[in-house]
Amino acid sequence: MNIKRRKIFGQVLFILFAFYLDGLIKWAFLNNMNHETIVILPQIMLMAIVMLTMRIEDRRQLIIYGIVFGVIYDSYYYGIIGLYTILLPLLMVGIDHFRFLLIKNNMGYDISIYFLSLTFLQTGIYLLEKLLQQTSTDVFDFITYTLGPTLLWNIVVFFVIYIPLANMSAWLVKYRRDSK
Amino acid sequence: MQKFFSNKKLIILMILIIVTFGLLAVTVNIRDKKSTPPVVQQVGNDVVSVVGGVFAYPTNAVKNATSEFSDLYNTYSENKRLKTRIGELAQNQAKLEVVQDENKKLKQELKLNGTLTDYSTVNASVLSRSPSSWQNYLTINRGQTSGIKKNMPVMSGKGLIGRIIEVDKVSSKVELISTNNELNDKFAAEILGDNKNVTGVVSRYDSSTGDLVMENVNSTKDIKKGQSVITSGLGGLTPRGLYIGKVYGIKKDNYGMTNSVYITPAAELRNFTVVTVIKSSVHGEN
Repeated sequence: MNIKRRKIFGQVLFILFAFYLDGLIKWAFLNNMNHETIVILPQIMLMAIVMLTMRIEDRRQLIIYGIVFGVIYDSYYYGIIGLYTILLPLLMVGIDHFRFLLIKNNMGYDISIYFLSLTFLQTGIYLLEKLLQQTSTDVFDFITYTLGPTLLWNIVVFFVIYIPLANMSAWLVKYRRDSK
Repeated sequence: MQKFFSNKKLIILMILIIVTFGLLAVTVNIRDKKSTPPVVQQVGNDVVSVVGGVFAYPTNAVKNATSEFSDLYNTYSENKRLKTRIGELAQNQAKLEVVQDENKKLKQELKLNGTLTDYSTVNASVLSRSPSSWQNYLTINRGQTSGIKKNMPVMSGKGLIGRIIEVDKVSSKVELISTNNELNDKFAAEILGDNKNVTGVVSRYDSSTGDLVMENVNSTKDIKKGQSVITSGLGGLTPRGLYIGKVYGIKKDNYGMTNSVYITPAAELRNFTVVTVIKSSVHGEN
């Protein structure tokens, strides 16, 4: 296995690990089933995806990652295919498209991109589910009880694990940068 | 024609929109109407869930350990209370055995093969919970190979927690009772009164109080706070006698037409790692 393949294998494992963490964190720590007013959705996989997207420069690879992990996420967690499957690649292409705004990789930039991505993703999912009558929540309830707490929790977690996450994702795509 | 297809981005956008809605509509339809998802999706979900078991096992161990630790705090008072109940329990158990035996013999006499109270169980452990606001699903590690079918009720240690919504080969998804999906969260229920049982349908979940709401109740005259609520077995999918919770109060709806009974669910929907799937012996039309 050459070094390029090994790095790609590492990236896939990294995203998969984050994927499982989403479900397990929800199950183990945020499992508020009896009083379901505030809903916090851990989005660790999105953190991994955003960090990798900002470092990988091959757009085709990004789209493939987006579709594959989108389908897995939808099928395993949602049971409805078409939410992450569409929104995730769109998001990744969007980040890739506005890369020219990036002056240098710093924490503030990463966090604000993550914040925007999370808002885009959750709002997109809400709108699609509303359209398909999977939910009857109104917009204000969604913002107050789902989007707000989710953003808050995830930003705090992102802040805490930023340094290992950034180092890890930089190491996983480093080869491609050096080769250019 | 050349002009029409010249804007590539517009075409891509159009195809994207069509694909999105197509996929969504098809999968929602399959979930609601078919008993299993397509084979590709089943295999995919199974692979993901089998690998996920590697991560779920240590997580469940930690979860068990932490809940044991929190149990230690109230051990003393609980022990005292339990000691008073234990004599009563032994007596009840002996009585239950005798009655069950008698019941079995009587059924043989009458040539009754299966009644609404007959069921068998399958234990499964929980792999994960969906990080989603409106799909309140648990993934469990048993599927078609263990005989699980769609719509079977699921219990945790103390009471009813939900219903199977998707079955794959070796994994399945449980939709929790605390869901506001209007199609799937209804259970035919019965309140055990002093002399007469009252039937109704558990149809809603009040997320602000954490109570289940039972509607279509025929009379509220005999209902008192603290009475037990069980599944009634009417409707065919759920056997009779699964414990749901205790009556908390009665409220009239906004128009004063019907009464809603509020039920505190028995299942503590937090500290469990193993669930029990109930297979009813009597099958209604599915």
